[in-house]
Amino acid sequence: MNITLHNITKKYGDKTVLSIDQLEFKTGTVTGIIGPNGSGKSTLMRIISGIDKEYTGCLNIDGHEINQEICKNMTLVFQKPYLINTDVYNNIAYPLKIRGVSKLEMNRKIENMIELLQLKEIIRQSARTLSGGEMQRVALARAIVFEPRLLLLDEPTSNIDPKTMQLMESAIKYINKCCNTTVVLVTHNIRQLRRVCTEAVFMQEGKVVERDLVKDVLNRLDEDFIGDFLEKELPI
Amino acid sequence: MDYIIQGFAEAFKLLFSFDQEIYRIILLTLYVTIMSTFIATIIGVPLGIFIGIKNFRFKRTLIRFLYTFMSIPPVIAGLFVYLVLARRGPLGQLELLFTPTAMIIAQVFLVAPIIMGITYNNTRDKGQNIKQVAYTLGADKRQALMLLLFELKADIFAAIVSGFGRAISEVGAVMLVGGNIKGHTRVMTTSIAMLQSMGDYSQAIAIGLVLLVLSFIINSILYHIQRVV
Ligand SMILES: Nc1ncnc2c1ncn2[C@@H]1O[C@H](COP(=O)(O)OP(=O)(O)OP(=O)(O)O)[C@@H](O)[C@H]1O
Ligand SMILES: [Mg+2]
Repeated sequence: MNITLHNITKKYGDKTVLSIDQLEFKTGTVTGIIGPNGSGKSTLMRIISGIDKEYTGCLNIDGHEINQEICKNMTLVFQKPYLINTDVYNNIAYPLKIRGVSKLEMNRKIENMIELLQLKEIIRQSARTLSGGEMQRVALARAIVFEPRLLLLDEPTSNIDPKTMQLMESAIKYINKCCNTTVVLVTHNIRQLRRVCTEAVFMQEGKVVERDLVKDVLNRLDEDFIGDFLEKELPI
Repeated sequence: MDYIIQGFAEAFKLLFSFDQEIYRIILLTLYVTIMSTFIATIIGVPLGIFIGIKNFRFKRTLIRFLYTFMSIPPVIAGLFVYLVLARRGPLGQLELLFTPTAMIIAQVFLVAPIIMGITYNNTRDKGQNIKQVAYTLGADKRQALMLLLFELKADIFAAIVSGFGRAISEVGAVMLVGGNIKGHTRVMTTSIAMLQSMGDYSQAIAIGLVLLVLSFIINSILYHIQRVV
């Protein structure tokens, strides 16, 4: 999916939290969004995903205004994921069920996710008893199982250990490769940005300050400046 | 002290004598309580969900009224229904006063706000999240509502249990609109009140015990269902 934003403004009372003149995410690209806390990253994701409709400006997806059909082909993984009060399997099955996918097909797709994100151990566990990191992994599986054309990720690996992070990153890359899914990823991790994304958007105070290939954005931003907002590259 | 012990002894005798009158009272109590809770659920749950997820004008005012009604004294609800159903009242021709139907109507006024209020509270706290998750996973309006109901089922159940508790324990409203007529509108709470005033403590204790056991059983069943769903 191709997303274009035009003069998007979002206000809470008198406070403008988002003000974007022009921004585009091209089909099949993986873009990282970086910026300090409160710079409007989550707000932007919610607007693109269609759950926040209280803004002014123009949002176009593949040349259309957002509608139910488009919504069915995209998804957002929240910063704090909400899992349905059932087991892991049925959480992942939910988006397939509401699309009327057959049992056979459903099983095949979920098996694929179990393998991709190593969920075998917890697949029958109740979602409410999962650890924070496991929840994020399940939320990602639930988001990509129906092969969306647009995948919005709001800090999907914020509580994740390095090994699982690698797992989740390859799952993100996999869905991008196999379905030409457009990916937009909010992150505070500069190495993740380098590993996963080809392009980067730097936001500050609700505005897009930089937007280019990852290396160009990082080159242009002052080292110290980046260091304030992103996890520094500490030698481990 | 004696009369209490004697009361308990007579209570058991009474219960196992299978006195028809007592069983009629128990059945009517169950009928009125279950019907009023049922109707209150049908009214309270959808409205509670509606005001929990929708924004509209005067919502705050409505909620303030709702909270007031949640703790409305039963005699006031009873008086109101009495005045409406009384012969000279607006619905006098229906001749419902001093019938079980009138008692159900009065209890719906007491129970529906409780079910609605508790449902509203839970929907407000969790509804937004649930709806958003449903939408981001591609659900349409109906599917999102189904997920909302699924996620809130334990809370809705708790609301119904609270409403039921109020209905079965209440005496003021059913006394006013039912009149405690023997064999017709006499329920357990009104019997106890009457027997106490007549000094017939053993009967009062007997019915009191049955009432306790009955609510224990029903609450156990409800609790069990709640854990399963
Ligand atoms: N409901 C609200 N009412 C008022 N202000 C809000 C509301 N929601 C968000 N904001 C404000 O909007 C601004 C942008 O928030 P947003 O969540 O988009 O930031 P973010 O870039 O995602 O930050 P973080 O890195 O901490 O996740 C913040 O200043 C926040 O306080
Ligand atoms: Mg955020």
